[in-house]
Amino acid sequence: MTAPAGIEPLFAISHNTLVVACGVAAVGCGAGVIGCFGVLRKRALVGDAAAHATLVGVALAFLATGRRDLPVLLVGGFLSGLAALGVLVLLRVCTRTRDDAATAIVLSVSFGLGITLVSGITARGIPGGAGLEQFLLGHTAALTTADAILLAAVSAAAVLLLVLSLKEATLIAFDSSFAAATGWPVAIMDYFLVALVAVMVVVGLPAAGAVLVTALVVIPPVAARQWTDRVPTMLLLSGVFGLASALFGVAVSAVVPRLATGPLVVLAAAFIFAVSFVGAPERGWWARHRRER
Amino acid sequence: MTTLSFFTDGGGMHAWAIATAAMVAAGCALVGTLLVVRRMSLVGDAISHAVLPGIVVAVLAGGRLGGPLVLVGAVAAALLTVWLTQLLRSEGGLSEDAGAGVAFTTLFAVGVVIVTAAASRIDLDPACVLHGLLELVPFDTVPILGVEVPRAFLTATVVFVTLALTAIATWKLQVFTAFDPGAARAAGVPVAAVTTGLLVATALATVAGFEAVGAILVVAMLVVPAATAELLTRRLHRIAVLAILLGVVAAAIGYLAAWRWNTTAAGMIAVVLGMQYLACVLLSPDDGLVARLCNRGWFAWRVACEDRLAAWWRAEEAVARGDTFPSAEGPTLGDRVADVWLAITGRVSRGPRGWTLSGRGREQADMVVRSHRLWESWLGRHAELPLDHLHPPAEWIEHHLGAEVRRRIEAEVGTQASDPHGRTIPPEP
Repeated sequence: MTAPAGIEPLFAISHNTLVVACGVAAVGCGAGVIGCFGVLRKRALVGDAAAHATLVGVALAFLATGRRDLPVLLVGGFLSGLAALGVLVLLRVCTRTRDDAATAIVLSVSFGLGITLVSGITARGIPGGAGLEQFLLGHTAALTTADAILLAAVSAAAVLLLVLSLKEATLIAFDSSFAAATGWPVAIMDYFLVALVAVMVVVGLPAAGAVLVTALVVIPPVAARQWTDRVPTMLLLSGVFGLASALFGVAVSAVVPRLATGPLVVLAAAFIFAVSFVGAPERGWWARHRRER
Repeated sequence: MTTLSFFTDGGGMHAWAIATAAMVAAGCALVGTLLVVRRMSLVGDAISHAVLPGIVVAVLAGGRLGGPLVLVGAVAAALLTVWLTQLLRSEGGLSEDAGAGVAFTTLFAVGVVIVTAAASRIDLDPACVLHGLLELVPFDTVPILGVEVPRAFLTATVVFVTLALTAIATWKLQVFTAFDPGAARAAGVPVAAVTTGLLVATALATVAGFEAVGAILVVAMLVVPAATAELLTRRLHRIAVLAILLGVVAAAIGYLAAWRWNTTAAGMIAVVLGMQYLACVLLSPDDGLVARLCNRGWFAWRVACEDRLAAWWRAEEAVARGDTFPSAEGPTLGDRVADVWLAITGRVSRGPRGWTLSGRGREQADMVVRSHRLWESWLGRHAELPLDHLHPPAEWIEHHLGAEVRRRIEAEVGTQASDPHGRTIPPEP
């Protein structure tokens, strides 16, 4: 599709940029939807440990294959994220370290290992290694069309899986002891939901980076929660909020390439949250303030 | 290059870098001890991310890294995070982790955007944010008594000494507040002020480490040494001292390893801290995994040996009574191994039918069978269990009863010489 000659300077956006924007928007939307159950289950920061750990897998996958193929790197990141969650469970079972300290240990040590590997790769000048640093804070400018389609497809698959198990997920989110008493495999459902969060954290890496990607699965759901008490509405709203934040981040970092995408996405989501926090009709600060008067 | 010249070359460049990292680690470990025992590790995580905008704004306003303005900015940002988290919890009904997740990611994002957007006007490397620049620390010096001392080392030292003195001066309050905040409040301890003080201390330790190890890896220095020390001892002051030592050692080893393999010192220090923790999880003397496995294995082995002794004792009893030799079940492999061990240690010897108890073996077997039958008598009298339900619990507890308990059970059930099955209870050897 070619634009008419006169308006070309205004819309100097390549086909690739558009596809990437759509792909990242899909990721934002998916992360918003999947994140809802993490927030409802009061496990908002579990994804953070997985997110920081993805860097190790990304670096190892690069070292193993010697190439910077996004799918390979993301599979590596997913595996190391899952491994970190496994270590977290083990520490909880086998040591007397408290849960919060265990989370902080897994998060910081795995991030340290990731940084060590990435810096080592960069310092040795391995071709293509310099680009690994974009996984720290997210940079969508380097994504190809194929990458974007992959990210969107994985996000869609994750959302589809969640929608298929919506009834069970809702049950354990609101009354896990009832679910356990009536024979639902609560532990397996929990692992399934956490694994979905890990998937979204990994596909969110190119958009938001290891440090901030957890915001994608926390802030939109928390904002959506302010507007509604119904799970389907919350999922929908959260998806829309995530999508809008991701689009904003991609658009601004496309115009100002120096800015990493991740922080911009987070700032947009935080803005949406602030508006929701103050202005939501029932639970919002303003509405309650007026009711009390 | 000899070992010594590595530390003295270039005005002691490496020595200064290691000293700075060690000082930062010491301050963080001290604060981290209180954070970890008060279950506030994730507050440390949140604060270490959230000081970034405070530092960046202070630097934009003309402050220098390590200068007073930056310290104030960092403390303000840290308190802002905690205040925001509490506001989101009380006003928005958010759970604490969700509130922290919103607050610190947003503040960190603000900091990163300002750093990158104002990169030309700001004397702050974006890489510094993520993993610090310990390698460059020795090049920014101030003269002290004619010696060029790195600025970051001075800041870290001042912060550590301040924190240490404060901690020593308020130690009793800290311990009281950490372990029983309710009682502390009732006793008139200003709990809220102590907590705020801890938050300020966290911010100071973080900002002292910012230049050397970056905003994120400081979490490792805060939490990991304290969690490691907690596996080794249970006294709070010992945890604190041990955590400081672990932090200092990890800083030195991490720096040297990073130099050897040409990578980031901060990341390597975090990795070494993680290895220390892993080593203690495995090898801690009381509840390390290896110690626990050994205990369990040792106990299982003792049970196996005692069961075999008791089996041979019962076999002899059956023969003496004129019963046929009991051979309902063949011995398992474990039984055979235990028999061989008993023979090696001189507790059984080759006899006409398998093994015969020697003097020492008979003594031990007497105790086991005596425990077993006394317990059956006691259960038969007090628990109203049918006869065929007495054996399994006795089979379990016979390995746990000592002479004193046996004596008291005997006093309780009377000095009758037989158990509920009518078998003789052997006397205490």
